Amino acid sequence: MRLRLACAFLVLAAPAVPAQPLLDRLVIIAPAAPGGGWDQTARAMQHALEAEGLVRTVEVHNVAGAAGTIGLAQFVSTQRGNGRTLLVSGLVMLGATLWNDSPLSLADATPIARLTGEYEVIAVPDRSPHRDMRSLLAALRARPRSVSWGGGSAGGTDHILAGLVAVSAGVDPRLVTYIAFSGGGEAVAALLGGNVAAGVSGYSEFASHIESGRLRALAISSPSRVAGIDVPTLRETGVDAELANWRAVVAPPGLTPADRDRLARLMERLARSRTWRRTLDERGWIDMFESGERFASFLEGERARIRRIVARLRGPAGTEPIRTGQRVFPLAILTGGAALVAIAFLRRSAPARRPAANLGAIGWMICGLVVFVLLLEPAGFVVAATLLYAASARGLGGRAAALAVGAIFASLVHLALTRGLGLALPGGAVWPWTR
Amino acid sequence: MDALTGLASGFAVALTPAHLLWAAVGVTLGTCVGVLPGIGPAMTVALLLPVTFTLAPTAAFIMFAGIYYGGMYGGSTTAILLNTPGESASVMSAVEGHLMAREGRGGAALATAAMGSFVAGTLGTMALTLSAPAVVELALRFGPPEYFALAILAFVAVSALLGASMIKGLVSLFFGLLLGVIGIDPLTGEARLTLGLPQLLDGVDVVIAAVGLFAVGEALHVGSTPGAATARIEPLRGSLWMTRDEWARSWRAWLRGTVVGFPLGALPAGGAEIPTLLSFALERRLAGRSSRFGRGAIEGVAGPEAANNAAATGTLVPLLALGLPTSATAAVLLAAFQQYGLQPGPLLFTREPQLVWGLIASLYIGNAMLLALNLPLVGLWVRLLRIPTAHLYAGILVLASTGAYSVSRSVFDVALLYIIGGAGYAMRRTGVPLAPAVIGLILGPMSEQQFRRALATSEGSLEIFLTRPIAAAFLATAALLVVGRAAAHVRRFCAR
Repeated sequence: MRLRLACAFLVLAAPAVPAQPLLDRLVIIAPAAPGGGWDQTARAMQHALEAEGLVRTVEVHNVAGAAGTIGLAQFVSTQRGNGRTLLVSGLVMLGATLWNDSPLSLADATPIARLTGEYEVIAVPDRSPHRDMRSLLAALRARPRSVSWGGGSAGGTDHILAGLVAVSAGVDPRLVTYIAFSGGGEAVAALLGGNVAAGVSGYSEFASHIESGRLRALAISSPSRVAGIDVPTLRETGVDAELANWRAVVAPPGLTPADRDRLARLMERLARSRTWRRTLDERGWIDMFESGERFASFLEGERARIRRIVARLRGPAGTEPIRTGQRVFPLAILTGGAALVAIAFLRRSAPARRPAANLGAIGWMICGLVVFVLLLEPAGFVVAATLLYAASARGLGGRAAALAVGAIFASLVHLALTRGLGLALPGGAVWPWTR
Repeated sequence: MDALTGLASGFAVALTPAHLLWAAVGVTLGTCVGVLPGIGPAMTVALLLPVTFTLAPTAAFIMFAGIYYGGMYGGSTTAILLNTPGESASVMSAVEGHLMAREGRGGAALATAAMGSFVAGTLGTMALTLSAPAVVELALRFGPPEYFALAILAFVAVSALLGASMIKGLVSLFFGLLLGVIGIDPLTGEARLTLGLPQLLDGVDVVIAAVGLFAVGEALHVGSTPGAATARIEPLRGSLWMTRDEWARSWRAWLRGTVVGFPLGALPAGGAEIPTLLSFALERRLAGRSSRFGRGAIEGVAGPEAANNAAATGTLVPLLALGLPTSATAAVLLAAFQQYGLQPGPLLFTREPQLVWGLIASLYIGNAMLLALNLPLVGLWVRLLRIPTAHLYAGILVLASTGAYSVSRSVFDVALLYIIGGAGYAMRRTGVPLAPAVIGLILGPMSEQQFRRALATSEGSLEIFLTRPIAAAFLATAALLVVGRAAAHVRRFCAR
C-alpha cells in the first residue's frame, strides 16, 4: 500500500505539462469553516490548479457563517470588479439566502461555473415496515404528521427535498414533521436508532450503512439511475421531484467581460485536468461541470424553483411543538432572567466593602481592546496585537518596555500561527511580506 | 479479525520509527495548541488537512490522533494556573484547580490532570479496542427524549455549583441560557434575538463565551483591583509533585471520571462538557461536607480531567464503528478520511484493518508520550507564574483575541469576546459566579432542542419521556436529587 501511495505522490508532484499559468495569483473564498464541504472543494481546487500549473499560487480563505451567507455578503460588497478571486457556493447557500430573506442573493455575484454535486437519498432503518417508497408515501398521505423525517438543518437541501416529495405526493409540506439535526452524524444516528421514521441526506453520508444493510435506501433524487448505486430514482417511484446538492464557483459583481471569460476558461481547464478528475474519483464527487450561459440559466431556474418550495415550507403553520417552542423558550428565559436580576437587586445587602476599581487601569485596557478591534484588519495583526499588549501591560502596571516586548511577542505569535499552522491572519500594510 | 490480534498488528504498524515520529509531532503540536486559549484540536487538524495530499493515510491519522489527545492534555494548563480555560471542557478544571494554584499546589493540580488524562485515555482506548460495537449499540438507543432527560439530570446535578447565593447563581445561569438562544433556531431555521446582526445568526460560540468570561474578565479584574496584581498566586508551596494524600484522593477520581466520561463521550450528541460537569458533581457529592471543595480540592480536578479525556476517546467509538462524527474534531477527522476516499463505517475495520488498528495502537503510544511530555512540563508551566503580572495578562489578552479571531476570521467575534469579557468582569465585581453561565450556554440549547424534537416525534404527547426506560430513569434520578436536596433544606430550617 505504501508503494502505491508513494507512486501517487510522485505523479502528483510532477505535473504532466508545465503549462503557462492563466493567472499568477488566485484567492478562493470558502464560505465555511475548515473541514466542511465547501472548504474541501476549495482546497481540492487549490491543489489541482497549482499541480496542473494553471495558477501559480492559490490561497484559500475561510469566511464562515450562516450557511455561507456571511461569506457571500462580504464577497459581494468588498470584491467588486476583482477578477482574481472566486467564491465557492452551492444549493445550500442559495437556499439560505431565500430562507433568511437575506438582502443579498447569488444573483448579486457573477456566475462562473458549476463543478460538482451529490444526489440525495431517502432511507429508512432496516427494521422499518416500509419496504419501498410507495409504502412510505401511503403512510405520509394517510397521516402526514405521523411520519417523522430526519435530516440536516432547517431550510437546507434535505429539508427542501422532503418538501418537494410532500408536494408531489399531494401533502401540504408544512404538515411534514421534519426534524432538523445539526451535523450529519446526529441525523444518521437518529435514523439508525429508529428515532425518526425516514431520513434524507446526501448519498455519501448514508452509503456505508446502506451497504452494510442497516439502512434501506428507498429512492435517490437523481434524474436517472446513478452507475454503481442500485437505488430507484424518485421519478421511478412516482414522485415528480429531483434535486442535486450542487457546488459551484461565482466571481464578484462588476467584472469586465475579459476577466469573466478568463475565469470561465480557467474552470474549464480545471474540470478537464487529470488531477481534478482523480480527485472527483477519490472523493466520490459527481462531475456536474457546466459554465457560461448554460450555468447562468441553470442558476436562474434553480432560484425560481427553490424560492417556490421555500415559501411553501416556511408558512405560519407547521408542526406545533417545533413552531411554538421557537417563541416560548426565548420569552421564558428573558422574563425569568429579568425577574432574577430584579430580585437580586432588591435583596442586595449593604454595599460590600470592596476596593474601588482602578479606573485608570481599566481605561488603558479598554483602549487596547478597542484599538485591536479597529486596527486588526486595516493595519494588520502584528501592529494591532503590539498595541493591545502595550496598552494592557501599561494598565496592569507594566513599565515602558511593554511596547518592545509586545512587538516581539506579537511577531512570534504571528509567525507561529501563519507559518506553523497555516492560519490566515491579516497581514496589513506594515507587514506585507508575511502573507 | 479478533481484537487482540488486530491490536498486535496495529502496534507493528505504529511502532515503526517514521510513525513514532509523526506521533511525537502530533502530541507536541496538540499540547501547544491546547494551551493556547481559543485554538483547539479541531481547528488545528482542519488547518493541517492539506497534508493529506502528500502524506500516507496511516501517518496522517497517527499525527491527527496525537493532536487530538494533546489538545485534551494541554487544555487544562491555563485553566488551572491562570483561571483562564481555553475551551469549554476545561471550565470545570478551573473551578477547584485554580484554587489549588492559589494555594501553591498548582504543580500537583497539573500533575493529577496529566496522570488522570493518561489513565482515562488508556482505559478509554482499551474500552474502544474491546467494546466498541456494544457501546455503539447502546449509544444508538439515545434519541431526543434521552438527551433531554440527560441534560435535565446534568442541570440538577450541577446546581450545587450555583455558589453561595442561589439568586446570583441563577442570574449567571440565565445569562448563559440567554446567550444560548441567540442565533438561528436549528429546528425552524428562523433567527432569534440576533438584533438584526447577521454575524449572530450562528449563535454565540461556546469557546468565545468561555474565553471571554474567564480569560478577558480575569485580565480586566486583575487590572482594576489595586493590590490584586502584587499579591498574586504563590508559584509553589511544598513539593512540586503530588503528596501521598493527594495520590490517595486522586486515583479513585480518575477511575470514576473514566467511567462517567467514556460512555457519554460515545453518545452521538453527548459532547465533552456534560461528562466533566457530571464528574465534578459526583466528586463533590462523594467528598461530603468536610471536604476541601471550595478551597481547592484535588478530586475536583482529577475527576473532570479524566472524564474529559475518556469522553474524547469515547468520541472515536461512533466515528470508527459507524462513521458518525460526534464532535468538532471527529468531524474534521471524518473529512480527513474522506480526503483519502475512505468511508469510515461498519466496513472500515474489515476493509482497512491496518489503518484502523494502527490508529488505535497509536492512541496507546500517544498517551504514553503525552504523559512523558507533560509531567516534566509541569515544572515549566508553574514557572510561568513568575512572569510579571502585567506581561502575563497582556500576553493572555493577545492570545485570547487571536483565538477568537481565528474561530471564523471575524473581527466581530473579537468584539463579542470583549463584550462578554466585560460582562465577566461585572460578574466578578458583583460576586456572581461564572461557571453557571457556561453551563447554561451548553445545556440550554441541548435541552430545548431535544425537548422540541422529542415532542415533534411524539406528535405533542409528553408521555414519550415516561414510556422510554432510559429517559424515565434519568428523569427519576433528577427528581430524587431535587427531593433529597429540598428535604435537607427543610430539615435544616426546622432545626433552627
